[in-house]
Parts: sequence; C-alpha cells; structure tokens
Amino acid sequence: MLSDSSIENLINRNPKFDDITSSLQAIAKLPKAIDKETKKVIALARKFTDEEVKPHAIDLDRRMFEEPDYLPRDFVKKANEWGLYSRWLPKAVGGEGINLPSLTFFLEEVASVCLSMANLIGVHYLGVVSLSASFNMRLFKKICKETVAGYRNGKPCLISLAITEPGAGTDVEETELVDKGNIACHAEKVKDGYVLNGSKVFISNGHLSTWHIVIAYGDLKRPSESMVMLAVKTGAEGFSFGRQERKMGQKACPASELVFKDCFIPDEYVCIDADQMKHLSLSSREIAQRIVDHVLSPSRGGVGAFGAGVARGAYESALEFASETKVAGKLLINHEWAQCMLAEMCKNVMLARLSYIETNYANSLHGSFKQLLSKPAYFFNQYVPKLFLEKFFAPLLDHPSSTNQARKQNLEGQTVSEQQRTSGWASLSKFSATDLAVKNCHMALEMMGQAGLRHDRRVEKHFRDAKLLQIYEGTNQLNRLNVFKCFIGRSFPQAVVFDE
Amino acid sequence: MFASSTNELKMLDMAAAEFARKQLAANNQENDKYPFGPFFDSVLHKAYEVDFFHTILPEALGGMQQGMHALCTILDNVCRADSSLGGIIFTNTFAQKIILSANGEKLLQSIVSSAADAKRLLIAYPVFNNPTEVETKVQAIKTAGKYILSGNLEYLVLGGIAAHAVIPAKIKGQSNFSFFIIDLSDDRVLKSDPVLSLGFHACPAVDVTFNHAEGKLLGDTAKGNTYFNRASDVMHVAAASISAGIMKGAYKEALDYSQNRFQGGREIFNWSEIQMILANMAIKVKIAEMVIAQACQAVDYMFSGWRLYSHAAAIHVSEMACEVTTDGIQVLGGVGYMEDYGQAKRYRDAKQAQCLLGIAPMKKIRYLGNLISN
Repeated sequence: MLSDSSIENLINRNPKFDDITSSLQAIAKLPKAIDKETKKVIALARKFTDEEVKPHAIDLDRRMFEEPDYLPRDFVKKANEWGLYSRWLPKAVGGEGINLPSLTFFLEEVASVCLSMANLIGVHYLGVVSLSASFNMRLFKKICKETVAGYRNGKPCLISLAITEPGAGTDVEETELVDKGNIACHAEKVKDGYVLNGSKVFISNGHLSTWHIVIAYGDLKRPSESMVMLAVKTGAEGFSFGRQERKMGQKACPASELVFKDCFIPDEYVCIDADQMKHLSLSSREIAQRIVDHVLSPSRGGVGAFGAGVARGAYESALEFASETKVAGKLLINHEWAQCMLAEMCKNVMLARLSYIETNYANSLHGSFKQLLSKPAYFFNQYVPKLFLEKFFAPLLDHPSSTNQARKQNLEGQTVSEQQRTSGWASLSKFSATDLAVKNCHMALEMMGQAGLRHDRRVEKHFRDAKLLQIYEGTNQLNRLNVFKCFIGRSFPQAVVFDE
Repeated sequence: MFASSTNELKMLDMAAAEFARKQLAANNQENDKYPFGPFFDSVLHKAYEVDFFHTILPEALGGMQQGMHALCTILDNVCRADSSLGGIIFTNTFAQKIILSANGEKLLQSIVSSAADAKRLLIAYPVFNNPTEVETKVQAIKTAGKYILSGNLEYLVLGGIAAHAVIPAKIKGQSNFSFFIIDLSDDRVLKSDPVLSLGFHACPAVDVTFNHAEGKLLGDTAKGNTYFNRASDVMHVAAASISAGIMKGAYKEALDYSQNRFQGGREIFNWSEIQMILANMAIKVKIAEMVIAQACQAVDYMFSGWRLYSHAAAIHVSEMACEVTTDGIQVLGGVGYMEDYGQAKRYRDAKQAQCLLGIAPMKKIRYLGNLISN
C-alpha cells in the first residue's frame, strides 16, 4: 500500500488535489446550515424576480433607449426595501449576516431575467468586498452601518468600486502591468489626508452610489508600490460625476465617470495606504496584489453567476419559443436538431453554474470568505443575538488591533497556493461562464430567428447584455492569462506571464 | 449585360465606397437611434438618387439590370459603414425579386413609374421570415373578383415607411400560400409603432393587422413557395455580402484601435493574443470575400449548382460575421461596448443579418436537402 508520504507526493502532482477538490473538502469544513440558508436565498430571489424584476425589466430597458441619462432610482429603492443592500452584511454591522456565497445564487436568478437589475444589486457588494479587502475594520463598520441605516430609513446607501481609468483598464488589475500602464489618478499625501486628482471611468452604479472605494496611486511612476485605497463620499468637495456611458446593454446599470479635482480625503477615510501597510511583513507591491485578488476572486465568481444567469435566460427563452412555435409543420421542440441545441444550451447553463459554485468553495476555504465561513465564526454570527453583536462586539472593530489582526490573518496569512487557487478558479469561472453566456445568446437567437430580434421577446436584450460580461472584471483574455499564471505557469520556472 | 468586367465593378465599388464614406460613416451612430431619433430621410433620398434601389430592375423598368455581383458590391460597401441602409436595399430588392419571379413586371412598372421619391418606390417585405417554414397568419378570401386580407403579420420590414408591401397569405381553402401586393396607405392596414429590434435600427419593421384590406395576387395562387425559393436562391448571396461588409468594418476598426491603444506600456497590437484575434478576424474576412466573389459568379452566370453556392455563402459568412464582430468588441474592450464606437452596432447588426430569410439552423437543413436533390 501507499505510505502517507507517497500519497502526499502523488496528490501534489498537477492537477493538485487541493486545486480540484474545493467542493469535496467543503463538505467537511463548511457549516451545514449554509445549505438551508442558501435555499431560502434562492426562494427569496425567485419571489423578488417575480414581483420586481420580470414585470419591469423590458420597460426599464426601453426607457434607457429613450432617456439614456435616466437613473433607475425606483428600482434601487425597491431593492433597498427588500433589504437587498444589507442582508449579506455581517450582523455586527447591522446586516442579516447571510453567507456571502449565497449572493451568487441570488444574482443568477435575477440575471436570468435582467442582468442590469442583477448589477444594480450585485455591484454594491463589489464595493462592500473592496472595502473589506482593505481589512480596515473601523471604516468597514462605519460605511456598512450607513448602508444599514439607509435600509431602515428608506434612503439607499450604495457602495461602488472605482478602479478603471481612461487610459488603463486591464492594467489596473495586475501589479505586473500597472507600472507600465497609463495611470493618472493621483493621491498626494498632505497633512491629515490625501488630495485626489484624476478620473475614473466605467464605474458601475457610480451615479447611484453614496460611497466610492477609489483605488489611486501615490507615485504614478511606481503605482504597484504606492497604491492608496480611499473612501470618497458623494458630495465631497472636488468630486463630481462626469458622463454616463452609452452602453449597448446592461443599460439600466449606469457606467459613470468620476472626476476628482483637488479632492481632499481626510485620514479617517483612508482604507489603506503605504503607511498602514508598513505594519505587515509583505512588500507594498505584494499587499496591493493580495488586496486586488481579495476583490477580484469573489467578484469574478459573481460575474460567473451573472454569466450563468444570462445563459439560463437565453436558454429559457429559446425553450419557451421552441415549445410553442411550429416550424416546417411541427413544433420546433420536436425537431431533433433543436432538442440537441437545447440540450447544449442547458449544459452551458449547468457548467457555468458549476464553475461559480466551485469558485465559491475555493473562496470559502482559502480566500475572502474564509474568516466568516469558518464554523466558529459562522455559528457565532448566526446564533449570537444581533443586539449583543452590535452592542458589544461591533465596538471592538473600531480598535486598531482589529484591523491589524484582520490584515495579518487575511493578507499575510493566505499562502501562495491558496492565492493561486482562489484567483485561478475565479478567473476560470469568469471567462468560462461568460463565454457560455454569449454562446447561449447566439444559439437562442439562431433558433428563434425573426422572433428573437424583437425587444419585447427579451432574448435580444440578453444578447446585448451578455457581451459586457466578457469585458469587465478583466477581459476574458486577461483572465485566461491569469489561469495560466495560477494553474499552469507556476510549474514552469521558464514561463513569463504579462511580460511578453 | 451585368457589370461583369473588373473595371466596371471597380467603378461601382469606388462609387459605393464614396457614398458610404460621405453619407453614412459620419452619422451612423446618430442614424442608429431610430425610432428614438429621427429617420435618415436624406440618406434614403441620396441612395434613391444613385439608383441603389434600382440595381436589379430590368432596364425597361428604369433599372440598372445588374446581377448579384453588382448588388453585393454595393451592399458590402454600404454595410461597412451602416448596415441599416443595406437592410433597406436588401428588403426592397427581395420584394422586387418576388414580383419579378411571379411575372409581375407590369405591376412593378406601375410602382416604379409612379414613384416620385424613395418612399414611394420602396416595397416592404417580412424579410427575416421564411414563409415556407413558418406559416403565415394572414388569410385571403376572394370576394367579387377581389382578394380581401385579414389577420396579423409580424415584423414587416419597411412597413412603416414604404408605399407598398409584398406579403404571404393563405387563400381560404388552399394549403399553400400565395403572395399579394398591398397598398400600405389603405386605412384597413393597421400598422404598429416601429418594433424596437436588436439591429438594423434604421431599417425598421412594424407589426401589421389586415382588417379586410384589399390585396392584389402576385402570379398564380398557391405558388408562394416557388416564388419565394426563386428569389431566395439568388438573394442569399446578397445576404452574405451584408455580413461581409459588417465584418470588414469591424476588422478595420479593431486594427486601427489596436495600433493606437496602449496597455502594459505598448500598443495592444504588439501583444500576441491580440494579434491572434486580429489574425483570425482577417482570415475570416478574406475567406468571406473569396466565397462571395465565387458565389456571385456562380449565381450571375448560372453555373451548375449555383443555388448551393448562394446558400452556402450566406450560411457560412453570416456565422463568421457574428464571430468577427464579437471579437471586434473584444479588441476594443470597454469602449468597444459603447455605442459611441461602431463595434457595438456591428455586433448587433451581424446577428440581425444572420436571421435574414429565416431561422439559421433550418437554412442548414434546407441546404442539405437541396444538395441531395441536386
């Protein structure tokens, strides 16, 4: 039989056991209650979709054609009334403390009907995750509490992430590229804070958000070593909104330009900067990449869920059409070629879903969700009364030691293998699910012909919406390179990535 | 004779390219806002003046009497800049082809000779449907020597702007459909607002309800299949040229952008993955060019099996155009997705073009059927 050391050697060959079995390992390691909680989330999503998404999605999209600058505040208000901007926040900051991976299932449901509306909800959590990736617990608590207050007083308080610049899209998502990029958003350290100058573009939900987590750079010649993350509130002096982009799809989710002209951000709103990074044993460049990965690993999984949702929406539209339309004398659903095409589309949905679920598991065991989904933390969050958490636990978050501890555990504590696993799976899900979404939209339109071209049949909207999925959160080309870096190139010392 | 010599086609090519550059390129985003912006009447008028709507009409009807090579040359150039006009030319030409297939020269002559402007000349047609596959819901009843039409017709292309329409309808008691010509100014023809569609925004369609409207029979009764197939066999290659034009526009914009946009400190053209995408696009464009040139020859000179050339060209090139335009956005990244650039429109238009003349997979099944019967 095999000795323990032989087993260890054999399972660490590529493909490594740990890289391909996150779901298997999660059975033992994650709390079982997640299952029941996720079931409730999907039920909630279906109810919300039936009542608030399906009846309005097409009309809202049409309105965006007529009034491209329209902002869907009514929908945001409605989502806020349903508690969708705070349910997934920890109980200690006033949220419902629902496990974050369940959000992806929620987003798939909404995206299967309207990707814009899914974005209007999901992008807020991109802001939340970005804020949390700085592990500045004081600021995290402060801003999240505003979101919770917004739920209670009926005034939505959304958070956006502002990273893309006019001259740099893909470059800002990899430290290997950012130093060569055309970076222009400058944060100059001054007494008691920073002065921010420059602009950010394509910021999802920008015009609708109250807080913006802005990634800027102290030294534009060495951005990878001088990243500064700032929390900027709408209305701050020197901060204004520029144009709202004219997108082909996902029209109801605004893509905004954020303009900063001598915008002073006081120290209390610095999420993390070089000075705060000094307390950690990693270089500022390594920390910057880990922060970016802590943002992108869950958010790319979320985009995978969007992809699964759109793939499903297109498939379901084609299926409905095929089941009620006669072509060449018989129902389309009874043509063998159509059955195979529908099976292929169904497969694409399932594969897209599996990819983001596996990413969820990787993040839960080794990445951004790890702390909150460890059994002790999860049960503490679930079973300790909310009032107690808010009154006695939350004040601890204001203490600098909470931030230091969180950074040590999450930024320093993650091994390189864990970083590669979470980042690699996130990229794999992102480009697989979104390619499958676009593929399904093509197939649905091919099957439906003339009927599919009409806006009122919904599938052409999916087709327009889906394309952006292959671009944001890093183009699918960048994500392929990241999979190469994380899962393939690491075994070949001679392989160089991002520096052809 | 068709403009078959290289020089004649070159002149036509240059004239169409000049038209596209002057009349279409500068305003294609604005023109695409229809029905939420104005319709491009002046472009339509200019296209009428240069006889784009008369290309295949016989000289006796005041036409250019050209074949598919000439029509495809025009469509290719026009669609590089704005395929909506290509859609209008295609729809009108298809309707003319059906009328000619049904020996309706006199009828066509009366339309052409009385047309004082483009809109009076244009003939609407449901060009994204194959009536031999999806049954028409319009019924015709012969009463007192006239045909009275009732029922709904979805997605009548140009129905909101043209003076006449060719439509399929079933005469009561017959299993096969017939074609009728309709005067769209008849108040018993009820038209919807323009249908908001994926692409070809300035080539609008409407839904129509016929409320006991009068229609003139084209050719013989129950011969719709025959007339449709005659027109469609020829016009598939024209559909291919629309897709080819869109592909060429997408490739050119992607190539230009890649040489001006920097990433990681150098032009994105210098990254080999971008080169790979561009190379695949360029190869598909070249293949489309070759396929269409060959198919045009086959159709215009009735080579043996010419129908197969035409259908294969449309099926293949329209599929390639969808791939090329998807990549065309990808090369530009975020800006490619914005309607301020041309790629988003081409992505939508290429998919719209693939649906011309019916459901794409059924075209493949039909192609095999034609191949075997040949």
